[in-house]
This record gives sequence, C-alpha cells and structure tokens, in this order.
Amino acid sequence: MKRMLLSVMVNGVARQWTIAPGDLLLDVLRREGCFGVKRGCETGECGACTVLLNGRAVNSCLLFAAQAEGCDILTIEGLARGEELHPLQEAFLDHGAVQCGFCSPGMILAAKALLDRQPDPTEEQVREALAGNYCRCTGYRKPVEAVLAAARRGREVRR
Amino acid sequence: MKTSVVGRNLRKVDGVKLVTGAPAFTDDIHLPGMLIGKILPSPHAHARILRIDAGKAKALPGVHAVLTYEDVPRVPHTTAGQAWPEPSPYDTYLLDSKVRFVGDRVAAVAAESRAIAEHALRLIQVEYELLPPVLDMEQAMADGAPVIHDEPDSRNIYDPKHNVAAHILREIGNVDEGFREADFVFEREYRTQRQQHAMMEPHVTICWLDADGRLVIRSSTQVPYHCRRQVAMILGIPVARVHVIKPRIGGGFGGKQEMLLEDICGALALAARRPVKMEYTREEEFHMARCRHPQILRLKMGVKRDGAVVATHLKVLATTGAYGSHASTVQGNTGSKVLPLYRAPHLRFECDVVYTNTPVAGAFRGYGCPQGFFAQESLVDEIAQKLGIDPVDFHRKNAIRQGDVDKLSAQLGEGKEGLPRVIRSCGLPECLTRGAAAIEWDRKRHTLPDRASAIKRGVGMACAMQGSGIAGIDWASAFLKMNEDGSFCLQVGASDVGAGADTVLAQIAAETLGVTLDKIVITSGDTDFTPFDTGAYASSTTIITGGAVKKAAEKVRAQVLGLAAKMLETTVENLACGSNELFSKGPARKAVSIADVAMQALYREKLQIMDAASHFNTDSPPPFAATFAEVAVDIQTGKVRVEQLVTAVDPGTAINPMQAEGQVEGAVTQGLGFALTEEVLLDGKGRPVNPNFLDYKIFSAKDMPRLTTILAETEEPLGPYGAKSVSEVPINAVAPAIANAIFHAVGIRIRKLPIRPEDVLRALYERRQEQREEEMLVTK
Amino acid sequence: MFDHVEAYYRPESAAEALRLLQRSNGRARIVAGGTDLVVDGGRSVRALIDLSHAGLSYIRRRERVCLIGATTKLAELEESTVIRALAGGLLARAAATCGSVQIRNMATIGGNLAHGSPAADLATALLVLDADVVVLEGKGRHKQPVAGYLEPHLQNGRKSSVLIEIAVTELPHTARSGWSFQKFGRTEVDIALVSAAAGLQLDARGRVKWARLALGSVAPTPVRIPRVEQLMAGEPFDHTLLARAGEQVIREVQPITDARASSDFRRELARVLTGRAFEECAAQAGCDL
Repeated sequence: MKRMLLSVMVNGVARQWTIAPGDLLLDVLRREGCFGVKRGCETGECGACTVLLNGRAVNSCLLFAAQAEGCDILTIEGLARGEELHPLQEAFLDHGAVQCGFCSPGMILAAKALLDRQPDPTEEQVREALAGNYCRCTGYRKPVEAVLAAARRGREVRR
Repeated sequence: MKTSVVGRNLRKVDGVKLVTGAPAFTDDIHLPGMLIGKILPSPHAHARILRIDAGKAKALPGVHAVLTYEDVPRVPHTTAGQAWPEPSPYDTYLLDSKVRFVGDRVAAVAAESRAIAEHALRLIQVEYELLPPVLDMEQAMADGAPVIHDEPDSRNIYDPKHNVAAHILREIGNVDEGFREADFVFEREYRTQRQQHAMMEPHVTICWLDADGRLVIRSSTQVPYHCRRQVAMILGIPVARVHVIKPRIGGGFGGKQEMLLEDICGALALAARRPVKMEYTREEEFHMARCRHPQILRLKMGVKRDGAVVATHLKVLATTGAYGSHASTVQGNTGSKVLPLYRAPHLRFECDVVYTNTPVAGAFRGYGCPQGFFAQESLVDEIAQKLGIDPVDFHRKNAIRQGDVDKLSAQLGEGKEGLPRVIRSCGLPECLTRGAAAIEWDRKRHTLPDRASAIKRGVGMACAMQGSGIAGIDWASAFLKMNEDGSFCLQVGASDVGAGADTVLAQIAAETLGVTLDKIVITSGDTDFTPFDTGAYASSTTIITGGAVKKAAEKVRAQVLGLAAKMLETTVENLACGSNELFSKGPARKAVSIADVAMQALYREKLQIMDAASHFNTDSPPPFAATFAEVAVDIQTGKVRVEQLVTAVDPGTAINPMQAEGQVEGAVTQGLGFALTEEVLLDGKGRPVNPNFLDYKIFSAKDMPRLTTILAETEEPLGPYGAKSVSEVPINAVAPAIANAIFHAVGIRIRKLPIRPEDVLRALYERRQEQREEEMLVTK
Repeated sequence: MFDHVEAYYRPESAAEALRLLQRSNGRARIVAGGTDLVVDGGRSVRALIDLSHAGLSYIRRRERVCLIGATTKLAELEESTVIRALAGGLLARAAATCGSVQIRNMATIGGNLAHGSPAADLATALLVLDADVVVLEGKGRHKQPVAGYLEPHLQNGRKSSVLIEIAVTELPHTARSGWSFQKFGRTEVDIALVSAAAGLQLDARGRVKWARLALGSVAPTPVRIPRVEQLMAGEPFDHTLLARAGEQVIREVQPITDARASSDFRRELARVLTGRAFEECAAQAGCDL
C-alpha cells in the first residue's frame, strides 16, 4: 500500500503523519488519538465528525486527509487550555446542553466557528450554524441557549 | 421536604469529559492487535443457505476468523434485553442456515483492517434457495403464507405456522355491554410506521480475552447484565468467565436494550484469540439494528353524551419483523399504558404480533405507547369535536386521577400477569392548566383562519402516561463505600445511556448522605465491579436504581452517624448531617467533618464504612404529559410546520430539573420525527431504500418549533424523594397533538404516520373533490 | 472506502490536472471539495487529483461578466459581495440552501455541476442565468452554455475533461427585474424535492418583458422551461398569468416517483414553486400582487 507524509497543524502543534493517499481525515485523526472526533454516519450528514479547518467547520468524514496538507486543524481536544475550559464548553455544561455527549464536540466546534466570525449572532444564525450537527438527545434547545450565553460573554469568547 | 442536592440543576458528573472529547466511549481505545469484525448480511428477505464456502475468505491474508452457521453452537435465544426468563420468543440463533430479512446474518469475519474484512466478505460464496417472502403484515397470517419460523427448536412462539409471534387478549368488564350503554360509538383505523432510533453513536462492541482468558465485552449497551447472561448462554461459557463493561454511551433510546453485536463479536474474539471490534455503519444501523414496531390500530370508543368514556376496544396488528424481540411486551404496553388513561369501566385489548421478512423491531422510547396514544388521542379529539366539548375539558373530565386503580395493568405485565396500578400521584390536571396557558389555548382555538393566506394555523393537544419501571420485575442494587476524604464510591449496575442517570443517582446518594455532589464517585455498568441491575429501560433508573441507592445511602449514613456520635460523645438522635459535616442539633453546636469521620473509621476503628441495598417496586407509578402543538399548514404544498410545542410533564420530583427538561426536549424531537418525517422504507423485495440520513429525515436545529417545557412536579410515595420518571412519556402525545392541530387548522384528519406534505395535500385535494361532488348533488 | 488509491496529486494548473486525468485510464477522480466523491466511494479509484491548488478558486468581475473558478466553495459564493450583487443575489441564495455550513465550507461550484445530480441547486440557478461553463479538454478550452454541459449523454465526456470556470453575464438593463430561488425539502437541510429558479423583468405598464424559469428535480438534469417563458412574454403580470404558467409547468414536466416524493406531488410542487418564484421576482421588480 502506498504511503505519503501529511504535514498538518493540529491543535497548535505541528504534526507529520504517515498516511495512505485514500485515507479519510476522520480515520487519521482518530487513529492518531483524537478520539473526540466522532464517527456517526460517514456521509457528511450528522456532523459528529466536525473539526475546524483553517477556522472553518468541515465534516472530517468527507475529507481526504491529504486535502488538509498544510492546514490548521482544531479538534475538541484543542479547545480547553489545560483545566481551563473554553467559554462554550462551560456554557454547554451550565445549560444542560450535554446529554450523551456524542454530538457535543462537533457542535461546540461549529459554534466556535460561528462566534469567531460573528460574535453577536441571532438565534436564527446559531441554528443555521448548528444545522449540520444532529443531536438525538437534547432537541437543540439547550445547546442553542448555551451558544447564545457564551456569545453574551462577549470578547472573552474570541480566542 | 427541603433538599439541598436533589432538585438542583447541577452539572452532569461526566460533563467535563464529554465536552472535552476525552476518550470515554466504547470505540475510544486502541488495543494492540485489534481486528475488525464484519457481518455478511443477507441480500434476500427469505432464503435457505444451501451451501456456504468460506475457504477463499479464510485464505485471504489478514483474515483471522470466519464463522458460518457450521462453526458455532446452535442455541435458541432472544436478543431482547429483558429479565430472565425473557417473555420474547427464543427464535434467534448466533448464525443460522436460514435468513429471514435483508441484512440477516449469513457469516462473520475478523480481519486486520476494515478493507480486508470487507474484501473477505466478498469472497464468501453462498448458494441460496430463495423462498417467497412475507413483507406485508396484513398477509402474514393468511393460510398458505410462507412460514418464517419453521425450525423445530425455537420456543415461545405463539403460532409459528401462521407467523404469529405473540397474541394478546385482555378485557376488563364487557365492552359489548359498554358499547350498548354508550350514546355514541366511534371507530377508526390508524397506521404507524417503522421508526429508527438513529442515536448518534452506532452500535459498537469490542471483545477480547483478558489475562485470565475471560471474555471481556466492552459495549455500548443499556443492558450489561442481560448481555452477560445471554452471551454466556449462547457461546456456552460460564457467566463467571464473561465480563461486560459499559463505557459512556452515545444514545440508546431502547435500540441498545438488545444484545445485538456482543455475541457474534465474542465468538469472533474466541475464534481469532485476538481483540475484535465490531461497529455498525450508519447504513447497517438502519436495517440491521432495531426499530419501532409498525402497527395497524383499530380503535373503537363508546361515550356518553356528556363525553364520559364507557368502553374502549383496541385491536392491534403489529409486526415484529423477522425475529420476535420485544414482540409481546411492546404491544402489551400499547394496551396497558394507553387504554387506562380514561376511566372507562370496560376495556378490551387484543393484539396479534406477526413475523414478516423485514428488519427486526425492538424497544424504542415509549415502547408501544406512541402508537397507541396516536390512535387514542386522535380519536378522542374527534369525539370531543363531534360532541362540542373542548378537548382540554374532555381530558379533565375523563382522564385517570389520583387514587384511581388501573386494573388493566394487572392483566398485562411483562408477558404474564402483572400487578394492579394504584395512582398515588397525578399531576395531569396541572399539566393541562399550565400547558394550555403557555400556548394560549383558548385564544388560539377561537382565532379564525386567515382566508387570504396559504398558511393556516391551528392548535391541538393530547395527553399521555407511561410507567416508571416494570412492577415486580425491574430491580436494582447499589453499593457504597467511604473514602478517606469523606467521599464515597457509589457502584451501580445501572447504565447511563446519556440521559444523566449517573448524575441523578449521585445526587440521590449525596442528598441522603448529607454531602455535596463532588463527594460521590459513581461507577456504573461493569459486571465485575458493580452489583446487579436489570438495565436502562422502562424509565426505571431514577425510581428503581435510585431507590436502591437511597436505601444503601441510608444504611451507610447510619454507620457514619454512629461513628460521629461516638466521636462527638453524643447520641445518633442528636445528630444531623449536611454540607459534608455532621453536627449536633442542640444549642451547643458540636460538629465533625465527614473527612474526619472517614479517617477515624479507616485508621482508628479499622472499619470500612460500606453497605449495599437492592430495590424493586410492586407498582409502576405513571408519569403524565400534556402536549400542546401549534402548527402552520401550507395548503399549497402540504408542508406542516410546527411553530410551537408545549409539553407539561409530571415526572414526580425532578431530581435534576435541567436534566429532566433535556429529556423532555429530546423526547419531543423524536416525537416530531415520528409524526412528520421519519420512516424506514423497504422496496418490494424487502431491501432498505433509505438507510442514511440523506433520506431518513430527522429534525435538525433549524427544524425545531419553539419549545416550552413545564415540569408540573408531584411527590410519588414509591419514588426516591418523590421521583417517578421522565425519559419516555414526553414522546407519546406529540404525534396526536400535531394531527389534532392539523385538523383545527385545515379540517382534515390524517390517521397514518408520518404525516408528510404529500399526504396533507392529497387529503386536502380529496376533500375538495368531495365538496365539489356534494355541491353538484345539491344543485341537481 | 478508498483502499486502493496509490497516488494523490496536487497539480498546480488545470492543464496538469487534465494530463493526469487522461493518463489514468479512468481510474482517477478529481477532488474539488470531495463531498460527493467520498459519499460515492470507490474501490476502483487508483488516483486522486486534488484541484484546489490549480488556481481555480476565484470570483472576478469584468464589467458585466462574472467569472467564477470551478473550485470556488459554496460558502465563498454565499459570502461574496460580487455574487450577492449579481442577479439579485440568486446564486448566493441557491448556494446558501445547499446542505449545512460544513458542506458549504467544502463543496465547490464545479463539483456541484460535475456531479450531475438532477437536484443540483447551483445548476438550476446557473441555467436560469444563462451561464456558460468553460471546460478544459484534450482539444483545449471549450466554452459552452451550462445546459449543454449538463446534457446526460455527455456524462462520459466529463471523465476526460476538467471543468475550470463558470461565467455569468449580468443583463444590461436591470430596472424592474427580479430573481428568485425556491426550494422544497422535507426538512430544512435536504436535497431539493423540487426547486425553481426564476427571473423576470416587467415594463413600465406591468407587462412581462421577459421571463426565465429553470426547475430542478423534475427531470434527469435541471431544465429550463421555454414554453412557460414564451407564454409569459408580453403578458400583463397578474394572477391569471401565474395560473396559466402553473398549468403549463404541469404539462411540461415528467418527474419520477422515488422514495422522496411521487411524480404527482413533484408536479404540483413545480407548479406552486413556479408561482411563488415569479411572485418574488415581481415583488423585487416593484410589483406586488
């Protein structure tokens, strides 16, 4: 099987991974220990595999790992700073927006991508940003409230 | 009763690891040498395997095990995660020489990669004898219909020759007499579809042999103990040699109240002598996992002029798919939890659950109730309308009340005689009042439609109940031991499927012990280290496991108080506990911290403060729900948009109100899908048509109505701190509330789910045709 | 999955991409965003040709012509001020209805066209805009109307060519004109059961100067409906005209019945969406019915 080298920045750390040309980014990330990136459908519908690629939310199940060459990847593992949680993570916990937690990493990252570009979103904009993250547990109400609450915390969110 | 931990919106105890993506789920481990297991699914709905040759597959480099029916023991069993002896037919085999639905197991392989495993599957040569399939449940019992379970060794099938997995007939009073007494009799037929759980984490299991050669099963399961028992039986190994571990679970909703992959995964691990992981793809989830039982419900209700319900007769035809998992119990619920909502003296429930060569049905949130309440609450709305009674008033007048005895439950237990239900707590009247106010029922019911607009608005409502645990059958145990810093290890066999059971149980323990929540370290769902629990289903964990936790905590508290009294030189009666300390009640306040008591016990007294308790109930106190829906119907496209959904629930006491609300909001979302968009479709050959999220539509954040959640708490004597349950009941009344709102908006009644735009448009068109024909008759 | 891929190429020009494609004997696939390719899968794929480094991501405006590179992402179309100003923002709106944010951050306009789905939202919008596509083939650059590119019988030709650019020419006179994109799905994030892209210009007396209509998901590819366009030209814009246009649409389309919708329902939706699309166009043109 052919091998190639992939150079990416993952959660602020430069990585060089050996991959097969046809490897999908989701598989590579999980293989390399980013278990927070989840496998839910493998067809780009459920959003559980969401990561940020150069600041944009993408479905890692639909990307060849090689497409990410030279890019900046943020997974959920890169959000907290040691013990200090990101305001979105705090908000999700405070508002009961996490139940089984399987969709939470993807949803939190999608929310971060939104708040980084639009720090003061309307509820409609939040729902649009989360439309690609399915949740079967919460009905989305508390996650949306959590994102709006984190946004209200203002500039602190922009990290 | 004033509580300091129970009743508070505390953060989930597992919350931080979930929001940081810590490796907490079944698939979040790498085991050296781990193989990937895959099932070869049947391409045919009904066939015999004449010849199966796995030689080429076995020879493929990287393949470590290939199993066919010739390689494994033949042990009839059910996959239903139920207490032994399971009331479901024992009609399933690890691997069989007959396949009974598209997706049924033909063979299984374990290989070094997913690609090699899939290649190996393609190399297995199978010669099938095709058999005519039965796909339509209305044809399954006909004389001459193909027999799906013709094997001699299956058991507990009601009438295999006619494909009847289960048959139920129960009656209270005499419905024929009741209908004679009635002033009006209404009869309608309703149909509900195959809905799938679509939990975000697919079924996944990893099996390996530990250093002692014991089979370890790490699995996303709601029923670790049933799983252990069943796998041991199927593989022919002692229970003592099986260890089931339940990590964090990414949603279950009943789909994981099933031994689905554990047996075949274990068999592969034993054959390969290496760890094996099996995970369903999303496509496999949609037809090789479980789904809600489709039903045809024929409902007849007799009422008096003033609306009093005198007799209800419900006749149900359901299909359990190719195997009988949960066949009698789900449908039993359709009768036992639905009919008694009204205080009719005459009730009759009869049901045939048939096999068809279709995906297997099983447990799914509501467990037979969503189907039954769709029928009953739709018909009740029709009755109320015809009698000129407001539906909310109709419910107030006729619904079951505190103090009533539900006798139907006495007849319909888990497949056998159950126990009568006394309604000791009932918040339904408050649910009705607060729910109606929240949606502005009175104003919106009397608002005239906007003639100019293509959008017509309407409001509708429905009620429901459920149960809290299975009376006399669900039971749980809990073990508590004290640590040096005054914290406690709480071990329960319960399975937190994501609903927050660990948190709720920890809150109950903390409250009882007089400590803060951070002092409870909870471990759940490990068959080696936690005591027995029947599992997370039937809305049982809070009330049953919570009951065991409370009892165990009370016993431990007594030990702690005893030692504290000794340390403070006072009597136990003089002591109280709270906020991590024990203190005397008198004016001269003496206190000792719980940590000091712990150190004293462990190092001075040489005493491990610990205790255990078990618990079950002989009754199943129902939670109640009233659902109010506001819809906007586009009469040109048929699209129904739910604008607002109000759910008022009586969960008993809400141990963690924020979590309880979350349960309500998640349940109604699945109810919305059940009502409007979700259906597993099969083609004429029984093959799945939409096994993906592109065409199996679940609600996204953009589809949601405005949700209002009202907790109308009551205090249930049988529940810890008054709790009942909340995880299922909110799903039950969503579909009928929406159907009733559609009627209010556009005057048509849809009696088949899901209510698609096409169905609404067609119904509107047919009504216009009828009106035109009537007008023509009048003018003639 | 893609277990047999041996090579991953990142050509720096469209010409190089074409050479790689032609050399591959049909075993290579172009990766633009990858969103359709990955879902389709491919055990037979031996090489992947990543087009994102070939200089095909751009949005340029030269006088009345808007040039869009084939690997421009749907999110970029949605956010571009040039695209939002073009034809009342029709293309931006069509892009905004495709999938979720995650999909739009990866999927490309070229990919949407090349995949050839009957429901392709961008194709429907581009048809009504009379857009052209530029394809690089063995013979060189070839410009053709998008309708020609979408012809089903040309599918095979696409395997040895590379779509490189889309060109939309804004009409010279835009007074009293409007554009609309209507899409009907089962939920908010859905493939179109039926979609309609329309454009309309009225004269000072409220008569239709010209009308354009393209429908998606009613034929093997998105299609223009010339008979409706002809029927409307010169007529006063009113409910009667809309009703006539709707009736004509029903006669023109032969949609299929599939798991998503029956042909009857699609036909009815086509009629309704056509009416709503033209109503929205007219409202933009300053005429409220």
